[in-house]
Amino acid sequence: MTQDVRLTVDTAALAHNVAVLREAAGPALVMAVVKANAYGHGAVECARAFADAGVDWLGVADLGEALELREAGVTTPVLAWLHAPGETFELAARHDVTPAVSDLAQLEAAAAAGVRAVHLCVDTGLSRNGAVESEWPALFDRAAQLRDVLPVEGLMSHLSNTSPEEDGLQLASFLRASAALGERGVEPPLRHLAASAAALHYAGSHGTMVRLGLAAYGLSPFPDRTSADLGLRPAMTMTAPVTSIKRVPAGEGVSYGYLFRPERDTTIAVVPVGYSDGIDRAASDRASVTIGRRTYRVRGRIAMNALVIDVGDDPVEVGDEVVLFGDPALGRQGAEDWARASGGITWDVVASLAARLPRSWT
Amino acid sequence: MTGWLRRATIDLAAYRANLVSLIERMAPVEVLAIVKADAYSLGADVIVPEALAAGIRWFGTVEPRPAYEMRRAGVGDDASFFAWQLGPDEDFDAAVRLRVDLGVSTLEQLEAFAAAARAAGPGHEALVHLTVDTGLHREGCLPADWPAFVARAVELRDEGTVRLRGAFSHVSETSEADDHAASLVFRKALDDAEALGATFEKRHMSSSSAGMEHPERRFDMVRMGSNGYGNPVTEGVTAADRGLRPVLTLSACVVRVKRVAAGTGVSYDYTWRAERDTTLALVPLGYADGVSRRAQERADVTIHGRRYPIVGRVAMDQFLVDVGDDPVAVGDEVLLFGPGDDGELTIGEWADAIDSIPEEVSCRIGARVPRVYRGRTATTGATTGATAGGSGAGASS
Repeated sequence: MTQDVRLTVDTAALAHNVAVLREAAGPALVMAVVKANAYGHGAVECARAFADAGVDWLGVADLGEALELREAGVTTPVLAWLHAPGETFELAARHDVTPAVSDLAQLEAAAAAGVRAVHLCVDTGLSRNGAVESEWPALFDRAAQLRDVLPVEGLMSHLSNTSPEEDGLQLASFLRASAALGERGVEPPLRHLAASAAALHYAGSHGTMVRLGLAAYGLSPFPDRTSADLGLRPAMTMTAPVTSIKRVPAGEGVSYGYLFRPERDTTIAVVPVGYSDGIDRAASDRASVTIGRRTYRVRGRIAMNALVIDVGDDPVEVGDEVVLFGDPALGRQGAEDWARASGGITWDVVASLAARLPRSWT
Repeated sequence: MTGWLRRATIDLAAYRANLVSLIERMAPVEVLAIVKADAYSLGADVIVPEALAAGIRWFGTVEPRPAYEMRRAGVGDDASFFAWQLGPDEDFDAAVRLRVDLGVSTLEQLEAFAAAARAAGPGHEALVHLTVDTGLHREGCLPADWPAFVARAVELRDEGTVRLRGAFSHVSETSEADDHAASLVFRKALDDAEALGATFEKRHMSSSSAGMEHPERRFDMVRMGSNGYGNPVTEGVTAADRGLRPVLTLSACVVRVKRVAAGTGVSYDYTWRAERDTTLALVPLGYADGVSRRAQERADVTIHGRRYPIVGRVAMDQFLVDVGDDPVAVGDEVLLFGPGDDGELTIGEWADAIDSIPEEVSCRIGARVPRVYRGRTATTGATTGATAGGSGAGASS
C-alpha cells in the first residue's frame, strides 16, 4: 500500500549530524533535544538513535515527554524543564528523570520527591522559564543548603538569538549566575546555555554542554546558511503518492476558493496531504514539491486532507511518489522552503507534523 | 494541588445537542457526520459513539482506512461509513467485506471495487457513490466522462456486484455564483444518470454551510462537519446565530509569572519589548501544540474573564502573555478559545485573528495536548488523551 503520506527518518543522518556538531562543540558534552516528538521526527526512535550515536544527554520540555522515553526503555539521562504548577516530581524520581527547576517551590518539591539531581534554570534575558537575577540569592542559598541530599548537577539558560550583542549580555548574566553559585560552594559540572545556533557559531557560550535541537535533525538554524553549508544532512523526508490526475482546461478554478485558475490547459495531481497532517494552510499556492527530478507548485488552497499540484503536460501518474520535502542536496524541497512558503520557520514545519502520521526509521 | 499543563476539553453534550438540532432542521434529509482527520483531532473513537447516541447513521472519513478500522472495532455496526479519497492501491476487498461506502471517481476504481465484490462471492456488494467533479477539480468524474461512467455502473448494478448507494460532489465555496453553477452541474449529472437507468439512494453535495443556507441543494443527505463541532464557517455567522455551541476549548495553566522592567525584550529575537513595567505570564503551549506563531500580538487569551495579548515569539512549547498589573498567578487557567462563556475568543475568532479557519485550528492541536472529554454518554473502551500526557497531565476530572 502506498496510499499514505509517510515520514521517513534516516537515523544514519542523525548520527552524522551529532558527529559534526560534536566536533563543533569541542570538549563540551552534547544533549540531543527530543521534545515535541523529536521535532516531529518521532521521540522514542530518535532518542534511541541519538543514544546509539553517543549523545550524553537527552532533553525534553515536560515530564510527560520524559516518561514516554523511560517507558520505552531509553536509559540515557533525560532533562525536563517545563513543569506544571504544583508538580511533585514523584514520577521524575521514580523514573530517574532530571528536572531543571526555576524556582524555590520546584526545588523543594524535587528535594522532597528524592530526585537524583537537579539543574537550576536561570532567566538571562528571554523572560520565559528560569529564575530572574533578583531571585537568584534565595534560590541559590537554598540549593546550597540542599546539595547533600539534592546535588546541583547543572546550570542552564536559553539564548534569544536576537543579536551577538544581546547574546553576549545573556552570556555575561549566565556567568554571573555561575559565579554566584560558586560563591556558595556549588559548582555544577554541567553548565549549558547554547542551543544549535550558538553551538555552531558562538564558541564562547558552550560552557560544558550544548543542547542540539534543529541542527541534530540536519536542519539549519540560520536563515542564510543551508544544511549543506553546515555539513548537516536533513534526516526526514515527507512523501505521499499521487491519488488522482485530472486534465483541467484553461481558466477553470481549482480547489476551495478557486485561488488557482490555470492560464492554459494543464494537468493537476491530487496529493493526499493537508493541514490535518500538520502542513500550514498558509503555504497554499506558494509551496512546491518534487516528483522525480521535477519541481511542481502547490496550487489552490491546501485542504484538510489534500493538496493539488500543477504538473503541466508532464506524464505524471496515479501512484507516483511526491516528495514534499527532504534533503535539498538530493534536489528536493527543504523544510526551510516550506517555512518560507508559509511565512513560518523551519522548526515549525517539522515540529507541527501530526503525531499520527506513519513514520519509519531507516 | 495536582498540576496540569494543557488540555483540549471536548464538550460531548454540546456535540450531541448540535447534532440533534441539525438532524431536526435537516429532516427528512439525512445528516452525515464528518469525522475525518480523527474527528478534526478531537478523537474519532470517542466522537463516533456520541454521534450515534445523537441519532447519526452516516459518517464520513475522507480516507477509507479509518472507516475500516472503526468497522473492525465494531463501532457503529448498523451505521454507514463513507470515504472518498482512495489510494492508488486501495484495499477494495476490505471495503466490500467491511461494508464501507466508497466514492469512486474513475472507471478503474469502479471496476476494481466491483471486481472485489465479485471475488468475495454471493452476498457481497460494492457500496458505490459515483463522484461528480462539479468544479473543485480534485476527485470526481468530469461531466464529459460521466455518461460512460454511469452506464458502466448501471451494468455492474444489474450484474449484482454494485449497489448504487449514492452520487455526490464537493463544492468550492468560492462564491455563491460558483456554488450555484456547481449545483446545476450536479443536477444535470443526476438527470443524465437517471436517463441511463441509474437511481441513487443518497444524492449529496452540500456540507455545513450550503446545507444550512440552501435547502434546494440538500438533496437526500448533507455532510456536516464544522456545524456539528459548533463552528459555523459562514462569514459573519456565529454559533449562537445557528443555535449551536462550540464543542472545543483549548486551555493551559500559567506556569510562571514574572515582573519585568520597561524595555525588557522577550522571547526569540526580542520582537516585543515592554513599554512599561509589567507582568508576564508563561503559558505552556507552543506551535508544536498547534498554537500558530501568527498568534503573536494578534490573538488574545483570557484569564479570569479578561483578555490579554500574546507577546513575543510563540515558541515550540510556550508563549508569553502580558497581563499588565493584574494579579495573575501560577496555576491560573488560560483560555485560548472556547464557547465564549468566560469572555474567551471562540475558535472562529481565534482563526480569524491568525488568518486561518476553525477546521485548521482544530486539526492542528498536537498530540501533546491531552483530550479531556466531558458529558460522555456512550460507553466505549476509549479513554481520554490518546497521547503521551504523562505526569498527571491527562487530568479528566
